[in-house]
Amino acid sequence: MKASPDSAGLLGRLARGHSNELGLLLAIVAVAGLTTILSDAYREKPLQNAEEILRQTSLLGVFALGAAIVIISGGIDLSAGSVIAFSGSVCASIILALAPVDESGNAITSDLGVGVFAIAIAATLVVGFLIGTLHAWLITVVGLPPFVATLASLVGLRSLARVYVQEVTAALTTTGKTTQIYVNDEAFSRLGTEWWIPLCIFLALSLAAWLLMSRTVVGRHLYAMGGNEAAARLSGIRTDHLKWLAYCISAMSASVAGILYTAEVGTANPQVQGRGYELNAIAAAVVGGCSLQGGVGLISGTMLGVLFLRVVIDAVAKSVKVGADDYEGIIVGLLVVLAVAFNELRQARRGSRKQFFPGALGLVAIGILSLGAGMLATIMAGRGAGSAVLAGTLVLLGAIALVERRRAGDRDAGARLS
Amino acid sequence: MNPGDALISVRGVTKRYPGVVALADVSLEILAGELMAIVGENGAGKSTLMKILAGVITEYEGDVFVRGQRAHFRGTRDAEAAGISIIHQELNLVEELSAAANIFLGRERRTRLGFLDQAAMDRDAASLLEELECAIEPGRPVSELRVGDQQLIEIAKALSLEAEILIMDEPTSALTESEVARLFRVIARLRARGVTVLYISHKMDEVFQLADRIAVLRDGKLVDVFNRRSTNARQVTHLMVGREIEETDVSSPRQPGEVVLEVEHLCLPWPGHARRWRLEDISFSLRRGEILGIAGLMGAGRTELLECLFGASDERPRGRITLEGRAVDFHHPSEARRAGVALVSEDRKRLGLFSDMTLAANITLCTLRQDLRMGLVSRNLESHRAREVVAQLGIKASSVDDPITSLSGGNQQKAIIGRWLLTRPAVLLLDDPTRGIDVGAKAELYRLMDQLCRQGLGIIMTSSELPELLTLCDRILVLCEGRQTAEFSRAEATEQKIMEAATARAGVAAAL
Repeated sequence: MKASPDSAGLLGRLARGHSNELGLLLAIVAVAGLTTILSDAYREKPLQNAEEILRQTSLLGVFALGAAIVIISGGIDLSAGSVIAFSGSVCASIILALAPVDESGNAITSDLGVGVFAIAIAATLVVGFLIGTLHAWLITVVGLPPFVATLASLVGLRSLARVYVQEVTAALTTTGKTTQIYVNDEAFSRLGTEWWIPLCIFLALSLAAWLLMSRTVVGRHLYAMGGNEAAARLSGIRTDHLKWLAYCISAMSASVAGILYTAEVGTANPQVQGRGYELNAIAAAVVGGCSLQGGVGLISGTMLGVLFLRVVIDAVAKSVKVGADDYEGIIVGLLVVLAVAFNELRQARRGSRKQFFPGALGLVAIGILSLGAGMLATIMAGRGAGSAVLAGTLVLLGAIALVERRRAGDRDAGARLS
Repeated sequence: MNPGDALISVRGVTKRYPGVVALADVSLEILAGELMAIVGENGAGKSTLMKILAGVITEYEGDVFVRGQRAHFRGTRDAEAAGISIIHQELNLVEELSAAANIFLGRERRTRLGFLDQAAMDRDAASLLEELECAIEPGRPVSELRVGDQQLIEIAKALSLEAEILIMDEPTSALTESEVARLFRVIARLRARGVTVLYISHKMDEVFQLADRIAVLRDGKLVDVFNRRSTNARQVTHLMVGREIEETDVSSPRQPGEVVLEVEHLCLPWPGHARRWRLEDISFSLRRGEILGIAGLMGAGRTELLECLFGASDERPRGRITLEGRAVDFHHPSEARRAGVALVSEDRKRLGLFSDMTLAANITLCTLRQDLRMGLVSRNLESHRAREVVAQLGIKASSVDDPITSLSGGNQQKAIIGRWLLTRPAVLLLDDPTRGIDVGAKAELYRLMDQLCRQGLGIIMTSSELPELLTLCDRILVLCEGRQTAEFSRAEATEQKIMEAATARAGVAAAL
């Protein structure tokens, strides 16, 4: 008698506590399934495609974990993309400096020993720690809002990395100033190209992050600080120390990603490397259920959020075939809006019906959404489809707006009549 | 009675919050031109009812009629359009803006070219303020003004809206005696203009001085409505509380032990303020097994004093604090916690509760290290400890895994007290612990405090309700504008004496 309600309660609690994760899992399966039906690529080379998605997921996931931890603790780290570029440059420059030199004075960066890489990677992680510490100092001591502090390093670090690479190449190579550092070592490149290596790194870091966030005192305090910083301080929690930890985790995870991305292409190129990636990481965390208000979010959700993001990006790439990279921003933007809007709707109480297109703002919004949809359809499927989608969206949203207005009108009239 | 006979008619209004019914089927008629006092204890539902009338709370069950028309306000704007303005207990002003800008916020006067007409707004504001006996320049930023003047700015704003119905939520809680007298003159003048006033209070003297009729709320229900002449303060108080105030055997004498906390010449600087000191030269001691009460008006420095003792004040206090025989100087609440001081803060929602977390997590937060097994938190140990606290303090919840927000205010407060009891404190600081808690839960909290005290804990508590301090405390310290103006033993203390000490400085000013 006692066992059955308990076990039902456990299942129920699991479903309730993880409804977001279950939903994501279903969405991932649905998108992957749909792509399999629509495009040949998945059917012809399923393994290869799966490996590629997992590799990309792992590369993004490594620093999305850091972004999630900062967001859960009530902050935001916008600097990840530039930290990736800077870390990649630091890592490559150290490898260059330690590599043996041939008779003409050029560094040979192939067939290097493990020691060189160990030193380079360790030094890069230290750089990540220093960047995180700088953020924590700016935020807790100087009193800058996290947005400003990390925005400054988003802009500053990339520029610094570009100057740094030019100085390093001028000093260490015979070719003079260049904007990139090449690393030709095969073992190093496997770090980023062999699918299971980034995956193992991602899974290991995820396990560590999960243990930290859900099974340690520090993790509980991070949630508490994100949920209510003033109350956390008054509970005797050292919020300044916790922020230091969170921003260091975030910056160091971006450093790891910087090493992996540099290894992937065999080049440190701070001009383009990691550009815009900070938003992908934040998007993955938000899609995974982290609240930008802080205090809410799970590592498991973030992992699935990253996977979902990559699966959708890959699905679009497979269906559009050309210029898939260009669509990435659109997809990320759309998914973030949808995920957050979906959460808002789920939390909104029943009975209070939300009006999406009220007043003049609503009318203009209908126009914008229809134009956007029409434009996308035109690009992807030609002018005919574009006009059809434009007209269709206009009619559909217009109908929704009409219904909403009538309902709101009824309510007012009802209030006036009785 | 038809809805048309009354200016405002409330019909069967119910408002539920998760875990608590704030208003249960309340029906009330308010007549044009009258001053109706709404009385009840904290948590009785007074403010909730008024917020519904003022369009602040928009979701509720039941109907509200204004001038016979059914009205369901969807915001304060709707209510203002219907002629209803509210002066909240916690004032609603933009501190950085000037008095005039606040009065005309959202309805700024404009010149023909569409620019702000500062001169016209200053002129109109000045005449409104003059009418209210408020001698301040319209251009002064609100942040520089005293609370009493800020309140008059809110009233000026209501007047500029030509409000016919003015709701005042405990307007005197932060005022000195002379400011109260001025407010009452203003109210009289408003009534002469035909304004209907709904006056929320739990102070009987005010209510019987001002009101035509008195509505009593208790635990979210309307108990009765009286004409002032046909009742007396005793009867109303009795109905507010709902039973003879249980003399929870807290009155039986406790035996204080040795001194546990000694405060000497404590001063808290107030940079950039004319008064210079937030707290000035405070000295007292606390024994084990003793409850020390701190009385004072809003802004007297009660909260600041507790924060100093807990290492949580923004500025470093000066003076000497001795805890269990050792001089202490806390830089951070974590040090105070380790030394055996606990603070249950006044604003539960903002400073105490972790609303995204479960009941268990809220209870174990400060002492989670005790639940480690091989370095990792054991959920079993954690739940076990949380369940012990739930049982010990009688917290009503179906499971310790419930979200803390599903509990009622009283149970949330107990959970926070439980969190701190787990740290095994020597001194417990309670800042207005019964604020927003219903009557039954209050009595339980009183018993709990008495019980803890008898176990040898030293407790310092503040309260905005004097009767509470008088029933619970062995000694009462009175603050007025950051100074210690009196200390009474239980035998000496009366409401009259405490109020005199709490407004001592205002009295001096009046005498001069």
